[in-house]
Amino acid sequence: MSIYASPEEYGLADLLCCAASREVQDNEIVFAGTGLPMVAIMLAQKTHAPDLKLIFEAGTLDGRPPELPTSVGDARCETGASRSSGLFDAFSIAQRGYVDLGFLGGAEVDLYGNVNTTCIGDYLNPELRLTGSGGNPDINAFAKRTVFIMVHEKRRFVENVSYITSPGWRVKKWPGGEFVHRRELYGAAFRGGPSAVISTAGVFRFDEQDGHMYLDTCHPGKTPDDIKGMCQFDLDVSRAQGNTLAPTREELRLIHEVLDPDQIFIPKVKKA
Amino acid sequence: MSTDKRITLQQAAEIVTNGSSLTFSGFTIWRRPFAVIYELIRQHRKNLHLIEVNGGPQTEFLVGAGCVDIWESCWVGHELYGKYGANLSRKVGNKEILVEDYSHAEMLFRFTAAATGAPYAVTQTSLGTDIHNPEYDVLGRAGKRDGKRIAKHKYIFTEDPFFDAGAQILIPAAKVDVAILCVQQVGEEGTVRVNGQLYSDPEVARAADITIVMAEEIVPEEYLRRHADQNTIATFEVDYILDCPFGAHPTGMFGKYDVDGAFLKDFYTNTRTQEGFDSFAKEWIHGLDHISYLEKLGWPRMLNLRANTALNYRPREHKGGK
Repeated sequence: MSIYASPEEYGLADLLCCAASREVQDNEIVFAGTGLPMVAIMLAQKTHAPDLKLIFEAGTLDGRPPELPTSVGDARCETGASRSSGLFDAFSIAQRGYVDLGFLGGAEVDLYGNVNTTCIGDYLNPELRLTGSGGNPDINAFAKRTVFIMVHEKRRFVENVSYITSPGWRVKKWPGGEFVHRRELYGAAFRGGPSAVISTAGVFRFDEQDGHMYLDTCHPGKTPDDIKGMCQFDLDVSRAQGNTLAPTREELRLIHEVLDPDQIFIPKVKKA
Repeated sequence: MSTDKRITLQQAAEIVTNGSSLTFSGFTIWRRPFAVIYELIRQHRKNLHLIEVNGGPQTEFLVGAGCVDIWESCWVGHELYGKYGANLSRKVGNKEILVEDYSHAEMLFRFTAAATGAPYAVTQTSLGTDIHNPEYDVLGRAGKRDGKRIAKHKYIFTEDPFFDAGAQILIPAAKVDVAILCVQQVGEEGTVRVNGQLYSDPEVARAADITIVMAEEIVPEEYLRRHADQNTIATFEVDYILDCPFGAHPTGMFGKYDVDGAFLKDFYTNTRTQEGFDSFAKEWIHGLDHISYLEKLGWPRMLNLRANTALNYRPREHKGGK
């Protein structure tokens, strides 16, 4: 029997969680956001990256929560941590350059990986005000790599985001607002940028030279042409390399029996 | 022993006068001073200027009740229990509130600057984003930048003059009139001991002109001074104290009680419209005081939130497990 689960054994959230987990390398310092990324990072900790160091934005350093926190300010974050302190530590450590990887989300993304979580429509006359930035631009500015997890809809993969909340590979240089490569703007503070987008359709990566997103793998059931049709910008699908790797049966066991048995972030697939 | 810092909930709310700038302890849905928030709404406070490291249910309640003219922060929502701040969103759409966006680290560094007595902080975060778009200086557009409590500029763009490290952003100190903290323990003279994550409590307490601390319990100073290394904030940084058990509900309190997710979800679901907010406020805020609010919530509900004192949270029963 294959170590990999067959399609009827897992759901889309399982696939995203395992794809996100595989972005983590052992010994890395990882900044966790609320939700699916917490499960993904804890899954990596229990599989291929036992020595990763987990930072929760609200102020826990090298946390090892025994029970899944429901947010980064949760009382569960502090249990087993190397240090419990506050936001000053979390953000100064990030700005100092300790953070290897951060997981983030967004409502809209453009070709360069600029992400919007602030508003839909004109900022000064918005159709819809969203949550705002939170730590999204901070983690994205400070970490060496960031991975975005997003719902894939054509209205979300857009030519121009309504508002650049979080900086991608080509960003606005103020006060004029002309687009420049991130490396040019960040100077000595440049450490990297978005390294992947894991959507509900596929996994995307970025060419650091031109800053463009390209398709890496398609989730089972999707073709490169399907996914190209789900983007408003002209997506490069020439480098696509087959399907996103399925979860292993062991990963599914860890997600559903150990990490998130109450289905707080990852629903169980209903057996037919 | 001095007890002259003790005030009541009503007095705490009265210190926050119309037009005050205000900030809070806590983080999103944890350790928010809800008993005072409710009292501010009961007293119909107006024209508040909230400056928050991050927002949460407390923002949504005050904004929904029409207490707030200006909100400066980076995020509002209810985490797992409501994905965005529907009251703020509605008032932004109706142009009933001014919102000034900074990033989370910027807000934290702004309070750190104020807490150290510095006029501004310097950072490299969020470069290249619309947070720095000069057209989006909302308080400047509204003519509010008087250089007194509200800084003359939202940002200054500059270059590192010392090490040639490139672009830097100067951000103004967060000057606030009042900070209201909600913690586990405060001593009779004002020593604060926070358990669990500190969030940005030490910075906001030091930044504010007036700091009010409400606590699950007021304890003898002598008890806290036996282990001064475990204390978070010193007596003279605290102006007023009050005893208010379960004062953070519906937000959580490390070691004491978890977040009341069902309450927040109910609030989020039912307050999308102003009519919805008003009827929620009529049921849960107006005509009640803190004790009758707790009575209305009832023992079964509160016991179900109570943290295990060894774990500091309430372990899940894994109803959906295996």
